[in-house]
Amino acid sequence: MIQQLFGDYLVKTGKLSESQLQTVFECQKKVRVKLGLIAVAEKLMTPQQSDELNRLQAVVDKRFGDLAIEKGYLTEAQVSKLLSLQGNAYLTFIQAITDNGFLKLDEIEASLADFQKENAFTAGDMEAIKADDIDKTIALFLPSDVEPLQVELMQTAIRTFIRLIDSDIFVEKAFWKSTFSMGSYAIQHLRGERPASLLFAGQADSLLTIAEPFAGEEFETVDMDALDAVGEFTNCVNGMFCAKNSAKCELDMLPPSFRDGDYIAKANRMCILPIHVGQSVVYMITAFDETIVI
Amino acid sequence: MSKVLIVDDSRTSRKILKGILEGAGHEVVGEAVDGQDGVEKYKELSPEVVTLDITMPVLDGLGSLAEIKKADPNARVIMVTAAGQQTKMVEAIKLGAAEFITKPFEPDLILAMIEKVMK
Repeated sequence: MIQQLFGDYLVKTGKLSESQLQTVFECQKKVRVKLGLIAVAEKLMTPQQSDELNRLQAVVDKRFGDLAIEKGYLTEAQVSKLLSLQGNAYLTFIQAITDNGFLKLDEIEASLADFQKENAFTAGDMEAIKADDIDKTIALFLPSDVEPLQVELMQTAIRTFIRLIDSDIFVEKAFWKSTFSMGSYAIQHLRGERPASLLFAGQADSLLTIAEPFAGEEFETVDMDALDAVGEFTNCVNGMFCAKNSAKCELDMLPPSFRDGDYIAKANRMCILPIHVGQSVVYMITAFDETIVI
Repeated sequence: MSKVLIVDDSRTSRKILKGILEGAGHEVVGEAVDGQDGVEKYKELSPEVVTLDITMPVLDGLGSLAEIKKADPNARVIMVTAAGQQTKMVEAIKLGAAEFITKPFEPDLILAMIEKVMK
C-alpha cells in the first residue's frame, strides 16, 4: 500500500504527474515477484505445493509464508530468506521512480519526510508503512478511539480486499459520523454479544470495483446482481472475522442486504474509511455494539 | 457425475458454484433462492446432492436441512458457509449434514466434497 499512499501524495504535491505515476506502477510490476514463484525458482518448493498454497490463500486469511511453514514446506529461516529476495514494495517503488528519471533519490526522501510530517506519523509508523505491514498501516488511518474488535474487523476487511479484490488499493484517514449520505450499498449485520454492522457503499458505479473481481464477471452498472456480489464479499469478510474471534464472543451473521440508489446510513457512531480502488472511492462503514440503520 | 440442487439466496454464489459443478461435468438440476424454495425443489427434483447455504432469508439453511432430512433421511446435503459459523456447523452435523464447504469457493475442494458424499 506504501506505493499507492506515497504515490498519491507525490501527485497531489505536484512532484509526479498522474501519467508518470502509472508508468512507475507499470515498471514496478516487473520487479514484484510472488513469494511462491521465488520459492519454486530457489527449488525450495514444488510448483504443485506453490499452487496448493495459492488456492488455500483464497479461503484462509493467512500469508503465503505462514501457510508454507504450517504445511511443513518451508522453515521460518527459508521464508525470511525468500522475503529478503522478494524485494520491499517501497524500495521497488523508489527504484522505479529513479529508473524512469522522474525524481532523484534526495527529492523522494524530502517528499517522504513531508508526507510523514503532514500525517503526524512517527518513525515507527513510517517503518510499518514502508514494510507494507497492512494491519499496522490500517490502524494508523483509524481514529484513536476505535474499539479493538472494530479495528480488527476493518483490518480483516482490508486484507480480504487486497487478497480477493485489488492489491493496489490505498486508504484515507477514517472519520466518525452519525449520519452518512451514500450511494448504493451492501450491508451485513452481526448479531450476538457484540452486535455490529459492516457496510460497503459508493456513488455511481464505484461498487463495480468490488463486484466485478469478486463475481468474476462484468456488469453494465451497479444493479442488484452486482450488489449481490458486494454482499457476498461482505459475507466473506465477516466470516473471516467471526472465525478468528469466535472464542472472544459469539456472533451470528445475518443474510446480507443491498439496495441501489441514494441512501443515508445512521447510527450513534459509524467509522467511515474511504478506500481508493483504481480511479474510484468506496466507503467501508462499520458500527460496533450497535447496528447501522438505513 | 451427479445431479445437484443449489440452494443459496445469493445469485453470485449460485452462478459461481454452478460454473464449477458444470465445468466438472455435474448436472445442476435446479437452483433455489431460499430455504423454503430449497425444500420444495428437493421434493420436486429429487437431486442426488444438495448444496445448502446456511445464512438465508425466509427459512435458513438449518431449517431447510431439517425439512429435507424429514422428507428424505438419506438426502446427501453439503452445507455452504462463510468461515466463522462453527456453532451452526455443529447444529448441521446433528441434523445430518454430510459435509461443509466454505465461501469464497475453492473449486477443487467443492468437487472433492461432491465425490466424497456420493461414495
